[in-house]
Amino acid sequence: MEALLTAVGSDYSQGMAESRTDIAADENAWVRRAKRSDVRAFESLYRLHEGKVYGLCLRMTGNVSEAEDCAQEAFILAWNKLDKFRGDSSFSTWLHRIAVNTVLGRIRKSKREQDRIQAVTDTQQDRFETGDTGELRDLAAAVDMLPSGARHVFVLHGVYGYSHDETAGMLGIASGTSKAQMHRARKLLAQQLEEQGFEA
Amino acid sequence: MTQEFDDKLDRAARQLATEITPEHDLWPGIAAAISEPRRSRWTPMLAQAAAVVLLVGASSTVTYLAVKNDDGPVVSVAPELIFEQAAFGGNYHLGPGFQDARNSLRIELDVELGRLSPEARDDIQANLDFIHGAIVDINIALEQEPDNVLLQAQLLRAYREELGLLRRVGGLTRNVMIRNDI
Repeated sequence: MEALLTAVGSDYSQGMAESRTDIAADENAWVRRAKRSDVRAFESLYRLHEGKVYGLCLRMTGNVSEAEDCAQEAFILAWNKLDKFRGDSSFSTWLHRIAVNTVLGRIRKSKREQDRIQAVTDTQQDRFETGDTGELRDLAAAVDMLPSGARHVFVLHGVYGYSHDETAGMLGIASGTSKAQMHRARKLLAQQLEEQGFEA
Repeated sequence: MTQEFDDKLDRAARQLATEITPEHDLWPGIAAAISEPRRSRWTPMLAQAAAVVLLVGASSTVTYLAVKNDDGPVVSVAPELIFEQAAFGGNYHLGPGFQDARNSLRIELDVELGRLSPEARDDIQANLDFIHGAIVDINIALEQEPDNVLLQAQLLRAYREELGLLRRVGGLTRNVMIRNDI
């Protein structure tokens, strides 16, 4: 029985690995075709990455329409810059970097951060749907209330799992600043969440 | 805040959804935007960046003149003023000395600005926003033309303008403090 389970597990793992390999191969082919202005190939890339790019924009901005604009703009920029993608990093990381730059650029150009926090506060009763439930929903709401520097680092490092060096590179800050902002984020989240019974 | 709390927070953060489906299909808008053939945009972007850098210089001078005699009340300053980006296209980085000086001045900024009047503070904030906008624009242009020497020079100049403005804020508030002390 144990052997059977091992064999089934092994087949499953192998299947998953092959599936990931297939996706990577498809992605590389789509990138090559999109570079030659194949819009259908680029649409395939969009369908593959829309969830993560939009999720990143939504976590960083805390605003549905802003996130939609950012995600759309990021894909348009990616299309225009595809010939500059040399494959030094994964396509996904490259795309995320563009999305982060788009979010940062829009925040600076469009409005004061205080306005954003006020807008988030005003819409807390009508929170956007992210799939988070229970305590995670409280955490997501608390993350939205963080000041921008701490929020961006928390989202990239804490939620998306980028290292401090990668996070710093994406945000254009020093690695030490990323660590300091993560510490600040934890402290602010602790203050906010402990009141709501989010305890270790 | 305990280590235990941090660990729980980290675990919870990793469980937050990273893939979220947009409420609307964004593809039609993207498809419409990319239907035009690709073209090089460096020339208009370069011109725009040059204009922005020139404006930054003029704007910083205006700020200097506006606040140099200011001795307004002490007020608290919103933390968003510390928000920053220090990037150099995708292929370059600012030197550690420059980065340290910049970070150090940014950290002190809220304390320094607290000594100025709300009007002067708003003016400085507007200038900083303007410089940051220029840095973002030039960075975007550099992503497309990473080897463009003129753009690189303009970006350095924008960073220097920012550093100069931060230093002037420090100098100005120290003058205000001395006058108040007297």
